[in-house]
Amino acid sequence: MSLQKLFRGVFLLAIEVAFFILFVAFMETNEIAKVIAFLLFFIGVGILFKYWKAGNDALVELFREMRTLAGIGFVLLLLILPFGLKGNPYLIHICVMAGLYAILALGLNFQLGSTNVVNFATAASYGIGAYTSALLAVHYGVSFWLGIFLAGSMASLFGLVLGFPCMKTKDYYLSLVTIAFGLIVYLLLVNFSWTGGPNGIPNIPSPSFLGHSFKDPLNLFGFELPSQSNYFYLVFLFTGGALFVAHRLHHSRVGLTWNAIREDEIAARCQGIDVTWYKILAFCIDAFFGGVAGTVYAHYIGFISPENFAFIVSVVVVTMVILGGMDNVFGVIIGAILLTILPEKFRSFEDFRLLIYGVIVVAMLMFRPQGLFPQKLRVYKR
Amino acid sequence: MIGRAFVAEIIQQGINALLLGCTYTLIAIGFNLFFGALNVVHFSHGDVCILGAFVILILYSLAKFLGLVAVLPAFIWVPLIIIVAMLLTGVLGALFERVVIKPFRYAPLLMVLVATVALGMIIRETVRLSFPHGSNPQIFPRILPQKSITWGGVLIRMDNLIIFGMTLFLITLMFLFIKRTRIGASIRAVSQDGEAAMMMGINIDHTVAATFLLGSALGAMAGILIGAYNNIIRFDMGLMGGVKGFSAAVVGGLGNVYGAIVGGLILGFVETFAAAFIPGGTPYTDVFAFLVVIFFLVFKPSGILGEKVYEKV
Repeated sequence: MSLQKLFRGVFLLAIEVAFFILFVAFMETNEIAKVIAFLLFFIGVGILFKYWKAGNDALVELFREMRTLAGIGFVLLLLILPFGLKGNPYLIHICVMAGLYAILALGLNFQLGSTNVVNFATAASYGIGAYTSALLAVHYGVSFWLGIFLAGSMASLFGLVLGFPCMKTKDYYLSLVTIAFGLIVYLLLVNFSWTGGPNGIPNIPSPSFLGHSFKDPLNLFGFELPSQSNYFYLVFLFTGGALFVAHRLHHSRVGLTWNAIREDEIAARCQGIDVTWYKILAFCIDAFFGGVAGTVYAHYIGFISPENFAFIVSVVVVTMVILGGMDNVFGVIIGAILLTILPEKFRSFEDFRLLIYGVIVVAMLMFRPQGLFPQKLRVYKR
Repeated sequence: MIGRAFVAEIIQQGINALLLGCTYTLIAIGFNLFFGALNVVHFSHGDVCILGAFVILILYSLAKFLGLVAVLPAFIWVPLIIIVAMLLTGVLGALFERVVIKPFRYAPLLMVLVATVALGMIIRETVRLSFPHGSNPQIFPRILPQKSITWGGVLIRMDNLIIFGMTLFLITLMFLFIKRTRIGASIRAVSQDGEAAMMMGINIDHTVAATFLLGSALGAMAGILIGAYNNIIRFDMGLMGGVKGFSAAVVGGLGNVYGAIVGGLILGFVETFAAAFIPGGTPYTDVFAFLVVIFFLVFKPSGILGEKVYEKV
């Protein structure tokens, strides 16, 4: 029995390691032909498991049974990812951006996925967070670690401000309010002189931790990793935290309430749910996530301008949630990672990026509205 | 003491506001027609409108290439390419409805909303990629006469006068079309009650297509007005134009075609007068406009002329 268990554990780790090696190899290819070959391979595996029910069930069962082991293995592999990428700064940069988008998408998922509130103001909270901490750091020397809380709170405050008019409205009207809010924030950032106007804010200081500045290369076990890996571990930590919060929220009473509002708002109200309060809660948590991601982005790149927070960013994040699978925490993260990495791999088609996003959204909504990884029904133990 | 110059300034700004209001009205009519027919908000309608201006750009080059511009007098070929552009945009609009909106007719509202936003992005990017240096503003051909007259300190541009006249003419034509023709009657019937209209033997698909054709053609006119007024067009003007047009429709009362006129004029006046009379307000005109919209959404969500909607279970 225990020998079989050991065997199964080794098998599970082998799958994870194989996936890790494939992922690293995929990240390192630059030729279009190879990238397409990899994609076809992944799609093929996906289709195989879609029709091979027994194998799919066995795999799901294996991962469910050894959840802790799978989690530990996954975390360890992610921690050695910068080594796996041989310290390539560009590839690590892509991973950092994927992590930031994952945080944004997780935040939006509370609204778009869980509550069915279409919010096109993600870029606004992202921008408010980035500008808050950048201005505090540049003018008042506030440290990154304090700034990140202030930025998150500031974004939440704006989420609250946005939330109130939104609660009087719904559906199309609500989307109009969020689009208008996003455009207002963008216009104000462009026109205010104290935010640097269209030129933005340059020279945002890098954070430091225990005397180690994030600008410097990271020395770990005798290996020297580029400065991007500092942020890789930071974003890893934050994404992990966001994932934890999102997962716990989904399985809490709050998540259940959000789903009830999504299914039928009037019915939810009749059940005694304070719809307004729970929707505003979703707005605030989303804005907080956006603010945190914005702060990390500002200090990581060291320069922000209004262009980084235009309406398009919101649409891109919406695309990530829809592609990954609405309300599915893990699916949303995979959607964010896919839509960050793939455009980088198809750099020669950079011009077509937004066009392809648009086509992906329409096609997904038509043919697979539940996303790549649909959320399963909640299962409760008896 | 109110001076003559001040009065002239107010009249001048009033003319500008009226012109801006015309543009918003034309876009808002589309939103109201679509909302009436299908209960959808076509978030890419603004992009369809700007598409109309780009169609003019193509047709103008074509007409120039064929020598029509040199041979025919301006009062023949200008209306000709405008009508062709409106028709083409109308057909494109109906096509977009068939491809992107129709599949979601019985789906949750969220899906059609996100799909139309994505469609807007597709239209914008297609326009940007298919024109040389598409990211830069394109020079809009000066197809309207550029003369102007000064009357008591008020400058009246000939092209603005024509724009205003054309808008009035088109809106009147549209009302006549909706009130007097058979298709207009079916559009009204479908907007009152789609199912009942279907039982009366009205072909819903045809009526919806006609509605989108009409709305998009009027929208193309709005795009042309924007181009003629600014002398440039850029691929991403449609985003702001669409949001403003929808705002105008909401302020006037979504689904009410008369509301479009009221809402469009209100928005036009707010923007123009905020820019002219609030010191340092010029960069913030859009902000004022959106604040007005949010104010309306919070305190009178049904708009000025809209009916109050009760939710049915």
